[in-house]
Amino acid sequence: MASAPSKLYTDDVSLLVVLLDANPFFWSASSLPFSKFISHVISFLNSVLLLNQLNQIVVIATGHNCCDYVYDSSSPASRSVGTGKLSALSVDLLEKLEEFVGRDEKLLKKEPEGSIASSLLSGSLSMALCYIQRVFRSGPRHPHPRILCLHGSQDGPEQYVAIMNAIFSAQRSMVPIDSCFIGAQNSAFLQQASYITGGVYLKPQLLEGTFQYLSTVFGTDLHSRGFLQLPKSVGVDFRASCFCHKKTIDMGYICSVCLSIFCKHHKKCSTCGSVFGQPHSEVASEPNKKRKAGDT
Amino acid sequence: MPQVKIIARNFMDMVAALPAMKLDQLYQNAFICEAILRSLPPLAKKYVIQMLYIEEAVTTKSIEEWVLPDGLSKHKVAIDRLLQLRIFSEAFDRSSGTSYRLNPTFQTNLQKHITCGGVLPREPMPSSITARLPSLEDLAVFALEQWECFLLQLINSTQAEKMTNISPSMMRIFQRGLLTQRDKEPPRLTESGFQFLLMDTNAQLWYIIREYISNSEERDVDSADLISFLLELSFHATGEAYNMNTLTEVQRNTLKDLADLGLVKLQQGRKESWFIPTKLTTNLSVSLTDSSSRKEGFVVVETNFRIYAYSTSKLHCEILRLFSRIEYQLPNLIVGAITKESLYNAFDNGITAEQIISFLQQNAHPRVSERVPSVPENVTDQIRLWESDLNRVEMTPAHFYDEFPTRDVFEAACDFAREYGGLLWEDSKKMRLVVKTDVHMHMREHLRRQRQ
Repeated sequence: MASAPSKLYTDDVSLLVVLLDANPFFWSASSLPFSKFISHVISFLNSVLLLNQLNQIVVIATGHNCCDYVYDSSSPASRSVGTGKLSALSVDLLEKLEEFVGRDEKLLKKEPEGSIASSLLSGSLSMALCYIQRVFRSGPRHPHPRILCLHGSQDGPEQYVAIMNAIFSAQRSMVPIDSCFIGAQNSAFLQQASYITGGVYLKPQLLEGTFQYLSTVFGTDLHSRGFLQLPKSVGVDFRASCFCHKKTIDMGYICSVCLSIFCKHHKKCSTCGSVFGQPHSEVASEPNKKRKAGDT
Repeated sequence: MPQVKIIARNFMDMVAALPAMKLDQLYQNAFICEAILRSLPPLAKKYVIQMLYIEEAVTTKSIEEWVLPDGLSKHKVAIDRLLQLRIFSEAFDRSSGTSYRLNPTFQTNLQKHITCGGVLPREPMPSSITARLPSLEDLAVFALEQWECFLLQLINSTQAEKMTNISPSMMRIFQRGLLTQRDKEPPRLTESGFQFLLMDTNAQLWYIIREYISNSEERDVDSADLISFLLELSFHATGEAYNMNTLTEVQRNTLKDLADLGLVKLQQGRKESWFIPTKLTTNLSVSLTDSSSRKEGFVVVETNFRIYAYSTSKLHCEILRLFSRIEYQLPNLIVGAITKESLYNAFDNGITAEQIISFLQQNAHPRVSERVPSVPENVTDQIRLWESDLNRVEMTPAHFYDEFPTRDVFEAACDFAREYGGLLWEDSKKMRLVVKTDVHMHMREHLRRQRQ
């Protein structure tokens, strides 16, 4: 009774948007089979739904070439009854996921060979943010949203700009991006995403215990995070990709007008069209339009 | 804020107060495990999920490492709750200290839920038998109507148009604590009765259900069974029809009572009969936790002490009548005025100014609720002033002392009383003083010592 009238939702109601990496190139090389991993994830999703009847889950699959919603707990279709051993959630999710992987494969044939087999993280991040924006605008009553990236594929440097934009828009709308990275090397994108948005970045040591990691760390609602010990980031890889060749670089050139990053000197900025002067070793008298980027 | 004495949430305390045997029995039912888990404080939920696959006891030390120093108080609350509900069992070991582990039945039930997902307690009936079911809107209207009718009857209003089928004895049980009856006088709402009317529907519902459960033994119904049935009921889908044949005799009788409250709608087919849960039912387990479905307000209070209530509900009119003078009623608008007389009437009934003000603030119409303050300050001030007018005289139990032998003894006694903060009045000429009752015993001791 004593609660303020403006507080329409209890503190621990959450909207969890899960970005599930469904990149066949990664999973074919992974030590943990995808089937095992997905069963951990489904258990985790069930546990989140169990905690509060108002909790909501959206799963977005991230493929190599496309991404799509594969599960939404608020849509009326997903309220179907579980049959026997399998729950409604897993039936729904697995069916949609299978469809998705098929579609993703068809798109693959048009791609040229030779690029890194990364997932389309930028796409799924943007989809997640769009979904959250829609929830925000649906009215004054909405749960606390957060994004969880279950990702394993390597970073695709060509997505750098899109991902950074998504991260900043998440930061602006105060949506934390949690990342559970199951690949071999740390992901610089996700480290930055979690660092900037105030989420948690974790690279589980033992993949067999994925459920325990997920429920212990990522099951924590935003309200409880104020009281619990959560993993802190050890170090964040802040390296950027250049706009011209999409390579990750330590040092490069930055356009002083629009802050675009280049790995070598250009005459003209490809983003904003500013004309650069000649590179000089000494300080020139004319307005110096290029500057060396530090490894920030 | 006024202290609300009727706390809707302590249904869980009721569950916690069940004997251990019954509680363990309750946990056999997966739905109860689910409902109870949802009713826990956020941190407690977190711990349960975290320990779900740990078969061994976890020491308090390692659990405490999960929390930040700021969260220790919340941590304690969570652990206490878990112990109370016997979800955690405590064990003591000399080497490692206290440790906790999950109740095994509870644990397996939740594990099952997590791996297999939630299932419905029973299958809904196919639409071929039930033919036309009421729409969700119709059902909501039915539930609301039934509930308001029940409430009006509960507060003994003459406005109640139709009577519910609830037996008078049952009604008397519900009214216990909400109404007082003096000889040859119409029953009146008590302080808690007024508070009850101010609560939101879910909270009221739980209060009634709680009374219903605590009274169950008298009707030869096991309270644990009843609790489990009610919680199970709340997991049924709203608007679907469920066959009555799947229920036991006791449960069927319970359903009849619940239908009178508007929790379920009973329907009869050609051969079979079925029940359709309404929104109120599904809210049963929701309202265990602090329910957040606050309704939109309807009251506008103006600086000239007039109240405009945009409501069609007779119940709202009755509530407003408790502290204001209703002037006229239009189909969707009640107009009243807060007057000194109407308020004195309310204060006489044990309603406090704070309660009235918080009611007006909480139910402020959306148009005015954005304003700060939502109720004009001059009105709230005046309500408080009128209340304090009545409380000019303050009563303090006290003892009176006189006939002191000497002035020294008298002065020492005064100083002594002052020291204890119990001196209320002194007359040094006639050597008399009045002391609070709490200090009386000390005072007597003191005087006895003086005499020796």
